[in-house]
Formats: sequence, structure tokens, C-alpha cells
Amino acid sequence: MNVITAVKAYITKMIEESEPGMKILLMDKETTSIISMVYGQSEIQQKEVFLLERIDSGNNNSNSGLRYLKCLVFLRPTPQNIDLLSKELRNPRYGAYYIYFSNIVAKADVKILAENDEQEVVKDVQELYMDYLAVNPHLFSFGLSTCMANWKTFTLQRSVQGLASVLLSLTKCPIIRYQKFSNLCHELAQKVDELINKESTLFTFGQSSQPLLLILDRRCDPVTPLLNQWTYQAMVHELLTINNNRVNLSKVKGISKELAEVVLSAEQDPFYAKNIYLNFGDIGQNIKELMEHFQEKAKSHQKVESISDMKAFVETYPQFKKLSGNVSKHVTVVGELSSMLSEYELLDVSEIEQEITSQTDHSSHLQSIRKLLNPGGNRKIRDLDAAKLVMLYALRYRSHSSNDIGGLIKMLKKRNVSEYLISSIDSVLKYAGRYAQPSEIFNVVEAVKITKRLFKGLNGVDNVYTQHKPVLNEILDEIVKGRLREDLYPRLGGFTSQQINSRSQDVIVFFIGGVTYEESLTVHVFNKNNPEMRVILGGTTIHNSKSFLEEANETIRANV
Amino acid sequence: MAESQSDTHIQEGFLCPVCYKDLRSRSNLIAHFEDFHSEDQDLLTSIKELVGKAKKKILKIDENDLEPFKTEISFQQFNLEYNEPQEPGQNRSHTEFFKNVRRERLDHRTSETNRLIIRLDKLLHIHGSDRKQQEQELVTWLDGTTVSRCPCCAATFNITRRQHHCRLCGSIMCNPCSSFLSHDVAKMIVTTVYTDMNNLSSKTDDNLRLCAHCTNKLESRNQVQMLQGTQPLICQLYNRLQKIKCDLQSSVNLYEKMFDSLKSGEDTFHLQDAQSLRSSIAQQAEVLDVISKQIVAIATESDQPKVLLLQNAIRRATTQYIKEYLLVLPSPTDLDKMRKGRVKTHSQNFEQPNSLHVVKIAVTTGWSPENVNIEQTLPEMSDDPLMQQINIVRNYIHQARLANRYEEVASLEENLKFLKNTYQMKRVNSDFASSS
Repeated sequence: MNVITAVKAYITKMIEESEPGMKILLMDKETTSIISMVYGQSEIQQKEVFLLERIDSGNNNSNSGLRYLKCLVFLRPTPQNIDLLSKELRNPRYGAYYIYFSNIVAKADVKILAENDEQEVVKDVQELYMDYLAVNPHLFSFGLSTCMANWKTFTLQRSVQGLASVLLSLTKCPIIRYQKFSNLCHELAQKVDELINKESTLFTFGQSSQPLLLILDRRCDPVTPLLNQWTYQAMVHELLTINNNRVNLSKVKGISKELAEVVLSAEQDPFYAKNIYLNFGDIGQNIKELMEHFQEKAKSHQKVESISDMKAFVETYPQFKKLSGNVSKHVTVVGELSSMLSEYELLDVSEIEQEITSQTDHSSHLQSIRKLLNPGGNRKIRDLDAAKLVMLYALRYRSHSSNDIGGLIKMLKKRNVSEYLISSIDSVLKYAGRYAQPSEIFNVVEAVKITKRLFKGLNGVDNVYTQHKPVLNEILDEIVKGRLREDLYPRLGGFTSQQINSRSQDVIVFFIGGVTYEESLTVHVFNKNNPEMRVILGGTTIHNSKSFLEEANETIRANV
Repeated sequence: MAESQSDTHIQEGFLCPVCYKDLRSRSNLIAHFEDFHSEDQDLLTSIKELVGKAKKKILKIDENDLEPFKTEISFQQFNLEYNEPQEPGQNRSHTEFFKNVRRERLDHRTSETNRLIIRLDKLLHIHGSDRKQQEQELVTWLDGTTVSRCPCCAATFNITRRQHHCRLCGSIMCNPCSSFLSHDVAKMIVTTVYTDMNNLSSKTDDNLRLCAHCTNKLESRNQVQMLQGTQPLICQLYNRLQKIKCDLQSSVNLYEKMFDSLKSGEDTFHLQDAQSLRSSIAQQAEVLDVISKQIVAIATESDQPKVLLLQNAIRRATTQYIKEYLLVLPSPTDLDKMRKGRVKTHSQNFEQPNSLHVVKIAVTTGWSPENVNIEQTLPEMSDDPLMQQINIVRNYIHQARLANRYEEVASLEENLKFLKNTYQMKRVNSDFASSS
């Protein structure tokens, strides 16, 4: 189960099944992102695809056709796309069309296209199910930034399609379980089930064991998206925001033009692939090694004295150039991260965050937050971090008898924290609402666990900054033990006695309302520790704390 | 990364004593040995002893010493986890359905178009003053009294907006909704032989009035015909480019095979051969570079920015191909030193195996050496048949090398070695005989 492999295999199939020749790839906005997640432009050029074009770019009506080009069409089967493609086929600009849809397309739509193909330019029409963004081998997203507020109008439908394509691309026909408290989960589970039954011929695979699709609601764990992160990918997303593998650095002071936007793709960047799950300390060490390696290379390039030196230089130059681009990219990113760390005192902030999430000591927690928020203390922490700390405190101690949420909010107001952030505190509390009880979202309460934690602490395994474990961790543990509770995570149509005990090895966990890179890391570690299990994680989007606050606010506003 | 590491650290304990191939683990080595050198039973026992010694040694080694080894293994597992084979995803084809729908529709359309062309042909042969009447005999004109509005634009017919008939299908429309087909163009459509557009004179009085539907059908047919059989320069150059790339791929594969073989200390291939293959690859790379430059240099019209983009993209892809696939091929020069060192150490440790198998040249690629008249080329040749054979084989090797057939060179070399051995043996025997 690897979503990147699945998407890559589809793209290879797409390119190889059209006959050789110069090709252009015609896409829509979403399919462009789908492809760019796994292939760079230079890679795809090696496969004879020299031009890329958007079908919805609007300037396609110039009739300067290039009839000697073959056109690969890769589109989502939306009504707009069918319409645009029909127009294209009526006045074809290219010699041959190979049409691939990213999902199930209606027969009626195929008919419309066929009727418009008067010049017989279409050679192939296929469904290749890659209707999702493959982020990491075990992580996918649908790129729906505000999910719950647009549930009825759009995101439910899109999630059903997306999940169907994930299942088809991995050839899995699962049993579906969902989080009971959430209507959204129930609805999505039902729709996916309906689709599987309707397209039963597509969903027939020779499965050795029954996979599991578990649909969760972000509201079961509003804590994880609020925390500062310390592993490379999660940290970059939290502090600099990763958007479809791209990081915008244009706001960094004195940035050169070619580094204004950098691509972080584990598929094309071995250094990133190696460090994606490592914590910041290790990355610092690795980047030092990378620099040294680079300098060594650079030094050997400097002494070009003889003809043979020259030849060696020319031969290794392309690799050298590539390496130097890579080095400057990571040095810039890590440099920016570390300057943000010290500027915003994120180490101190994170320490308190972690303590609130995983220890029980109300008075000392309140004390430390007050100390950080104190305006006289000349601290430079960001308003965002200050507000998030209060949110965590509020989530943790909202039912504590002597809590002082009001007092902390007053302190925030004194700091001139924006109205948006202050109202977000209320939104997050409402968002978590009656669903996420402190006892469930903070992994601290049970006595057994505390002793376990102590034990861990004695072994020195836990790092102060990575004490927090997402709710997902607990759920995965229950799955592997075959003990996921039926009353909290029911199955559509109930269980047969045989199914209760059957343990799924292939698990797809999907979060309505977005997933986080911390949870992705959890799954990565889980897969490594349980080689017999294969877990894939997905979400409507991938949140950092900023985007999560937006989503929470939108959700409360739309009153879902 | 793991690969490059494993390439540089040859683990001496797991070299095959016969072919010096590095097999990296005990089980691999034994399997390899049983597969390739099973005849040499005594050697097999010796290798088992050797491995046993190594095993004892390894077992004695402190755990710490094995740490890098272990991490290497776990790293490989890490990679495996991500590259585990995966069933290809589900897919569904609508091509059949699409083509059926299209065929139904196009059959209808094609027969319509053909009918129009036949009528057009007949219309062109109408001459004389009663043209209108003849035209009506050919195509029944619609009765004008029943039509009060133009079917195209829905405007009411009156004194100023008069009814007109399409000469091909007889339907009615108003003047703005009709179009005209000149006689010359009509002739061109009918004969289908391409004639130069510029020579066409347009006499407006000869034009045929047509409705929009008929015009559309004739035009799209015409367009399809015009596009057939023309291949722009860029396509020709691109095809050449692809052909060379395709040829190069096999050379690169062969080179990599030769390089690996040389590096692991085998003497199947010659260093010079590797070098000359490499330089021929470099020459081809230059040709690629030149062609891609030509593609960029093709003049484009300013209204076609896409063509320019395409040309640049091809150029970029080609330079990248050269940089990343051809220039990075390892140079054989440092192999030379490596190999010399290895040969020295191993020739002391192991005896050459005494039975050599003559490998017949398997000419799968259709190449075979020419028969050279031996008498002519080598007049002073000895009459010993073995010597003759040796010379012939030498000649073949020479030819094979000229033709860049390095795999044949390798197998021929083996033949030669065998022949030489036999020759030597014979010489020794005969010396013995004469001395005794």
C-alpha cells in the first residue's frame, strides 16, 4: 500500500499507452496538482511530454493547432471539463487525443464526447483512479481547505470520489467503520458504501484479507493541529506552510529569486527523503554533513589544473550543480526555521504546550502561561503562539473548577492580540464542543498510562518537545490489538460475529476536517514498528495551526 | 546511495575464486558457485572451507564491529518497505463504447458527405442557359410556400429578405445564412488532387450557393485531407533524435554491463573496448546536441508561441538527457588501476581453473565476421592447423572490434585463450616426445 507508487504507475501507464511521439499534457487545476506531487517537469520531459497546458486557461481558442503533437488529456470528470473537452474535440488543435479521467465518468458524458469527435482524433478513453494528492507513501489529501463548512455543497461529494479512487488505485474493497459521534462520518461512510455497491464490478479484487476503512472526525482531536512541531516536514508546514510540496520563501529577507519558491519532494530530493521524519537537532547535524560534503566537492572543483582535472570536472559538473542547488535550498529552509525558533522563542512555547498536553498540574501550567503572556516580561513570542497556548489550556481545563480562562484572555487583550485570534479561542472550544472530552484528547488521565509514561521517562526515551501523542496513536494501538470498540466505531450495517474478531492488516484512516503531519509521523512510526500492518492516512486537507484555526472558525460560522 | 557504497567496498571474503565476482554474502556465493562452476567439485569444497573460516571469524567479531553492517541492512529494509511490489491499480476503458457511439454518428455523416460530393460533381458538369432547371432536376428544391421563416436565423421572409435554395440539399435559407462555393474549389474537392490555391481564379458568377450544414461538412472533410501527408521539419528532426536515443540506450546498457564486469575483475571484456564504446557514445551525444540545436533554430511564426515553447522544451530535455544519463557514465580509466591491483592479489591466491569451456559465438544480433582469405593475408602462416585456427580467430576479433560488437569480442577471446592453451600443451608434449 503506497499511494505514491500507485499514482506513478498510473502516470507511466498513461504515457506509455499512447504511442511514441511529441506529446502535450492537457490538465485541469486539480489534476495539475495531482501530477506535480509525484513528477517534476524535467522528469516528465524525459518521457516525451514537452508541453503542459490547462484546459481551463481560457486562451485555448487560438486555432494555431499543432497537429503533429499527441495530446494526453488528464481531467477530473466534472461537467465543466466535459464541456470544455467537447469544445476542444470539435475543433481539435492536436493530431490525436488520449483521454484519461481521474475517476468514474458517466456513460452519458462519454457519449457526449464521442458525438463531438467528428474528426476521429480520439484514440483512447480510460479511467485511471488517481483523484487525490499523494503526499507521502502513506499519506494522501484532497486539498479541500475548509471542509466542514462546505460539506453539503461540495466536500462530501469530493471526499466520496476521492476515497473511491484511493481504494481503486490500491485495489482494496474494505469494510467501513466510522466515528459514531459524528454525523459527517456516518454520511461519508454510507455514500462510499453506496458507491462500492453500485460499481461492484470495479471493486472486485482477489483480496487475501479484508482491509479496513476507518473514517474519523477532526473534532475528536483538536489538540494535535495546535501544537508546534519538531520534525522536518511537520515543522516546515507549521512555520512556513507546504502547499502541494511547494514552500513559499519569498518573504524571507534577502532571498534570491530562484529560492523564492522551493520544492520539497521526497521523490526527487534524497536529502529531504532522509530527513523528513527526523527532529530538528538531527537535521542540523545532517545539514552540516551535507555542507561538508559539498565543500569537499567544491574544493576538488577549484583545483582544475591539468587536462584530466578539467575532464573530471566536466563529467561531474551536472551532479555538482544539482547538489549545490539542493544544499542552498535546505540551508535556506533550515536557516529560516532556526531564526524563527529563536526569534519567537518557540522552544519555551513548545515546552509548555507539551506539558499541558501530557501532564496534570493545573497551577503550574497556569503559572507558566501567565509568565509567558506577561507584557512586562519583554518576551517576543508571537500572538498566534500566545493565543494557541490559551486554547490548549482552555481545552484541557475547561471543566476544571478553578480555571482562569477569562483571566488569560484578558492578558491576551492587554497584549493587543487581534480580535480574530481571541474569538478563535471560543471557536476552537465550540468546535471541540461536546465531542472531544479532555479525558479523551489528552493522553494523561488514566493511572496506568501515567506509570507507563514515568517508565518511559526513566528510560530517557521521551524528548521534552515530543511528549504529545495524537489520539490516532491510541486508535491504531486498538486496531492492532483487534480491540477497536464497536460502540464508538460502528460498522455500516452492523457486524457479523465473524467480522468482530477479524483483524485487518491493511488500514486506511481518513480524517474529515483535515489531518496533520504529526499524525503522518505517527503512522510512519506505527508501520515501522508493526511490519505486518500497513496503514495509510488521509484527510480532506493537511492542516497546520493557522489553517486549522480558519477551518474551526468557518465551521462554527456555518453552524455545522 | 546504498548502491554506490556497496560498489566501492568489495568484501574480499565473498569473491568467487573462479571469476572474482563479488557476491556479498555466503549464501549468494554458494548458490552462484553451484550454478556456474558446479563442475569444479574440488574447488567447491575449498570454497566451503573458506566460507567456514570466514564464518568462524565473523562469529568471533564483537557486536560493535558489525554495527555498520547492520545499519546497512536495516537501511535496505527501509527502502524495501517503500518499494514493495504493488498490484497495478484498477482501471476501466471506455474506448470501445466511445468508438461505437462515434462510428454510428460518423457513418451517417460520412454517407451524407459522400452524397454531397457526388451531387457536387454532377452540378459541376451542368452548363448552358437552363442551369437552374437542371440543378432542380438533380436536387429537389424545397417548396418555398410552406416556409415562412429562415430555419437558421428564424427571420421572416419578405420582399427584401428573399428565399434561397441550397444547391446541394435543396433546403431554404435567407441570403446572410448562405455561403458560396466557387467552381474551382468545388473541382478541387471533387478531384481530391491537391492543386495550388494561388492559381485559382474566382469568378463570382460561377459560385454555388450552399447552406451552412453542407458547407460545414465539405469543409471538415477538406481540412482532414489537407492535413494528411504533410510532415513538418520539426517532426523529421525529432524522429531522428529519438532514433539515436533509442540506439544509444543499447550502447549505454552494454557499457554498463562491461563496466560492472571489468570492475568486478572479470576479463570477459577489454578495457580498450570499453573506452572506445564510451567515446562512440560521446560522439552520439554530440550528434544529439546538434540536432536539438537545429530544432531550436527552426524559424517560427510569431503567432505560434507554443511552437517556440515546444522547441525549447525538446532542447532542454535533450541536454538534460545528455547530462544525466550519458555524461555520468563512469570513466574506465580508474578501473585500470583497480583491476591491476586486484589481478596481482588474486593470481597468487588462486590457480587458474584448468578446464576452460569453449563458448560458441552466439550471433543473435545478425552480425558475423567476414571470411577472409587466410592465404592472402597471412602468407607466411605455418601449416599447423591449430595455429591456423588461432589466426582466424584473431582476425575475427579484429573485425568484431571494428564493428563495436564487444560481446562477440568477449566470447571470441575466450575461444582464443582455449586455442592458445591447447597449442601450448601440444608444444610441451611434442618437446617431451623429442627429448625422450
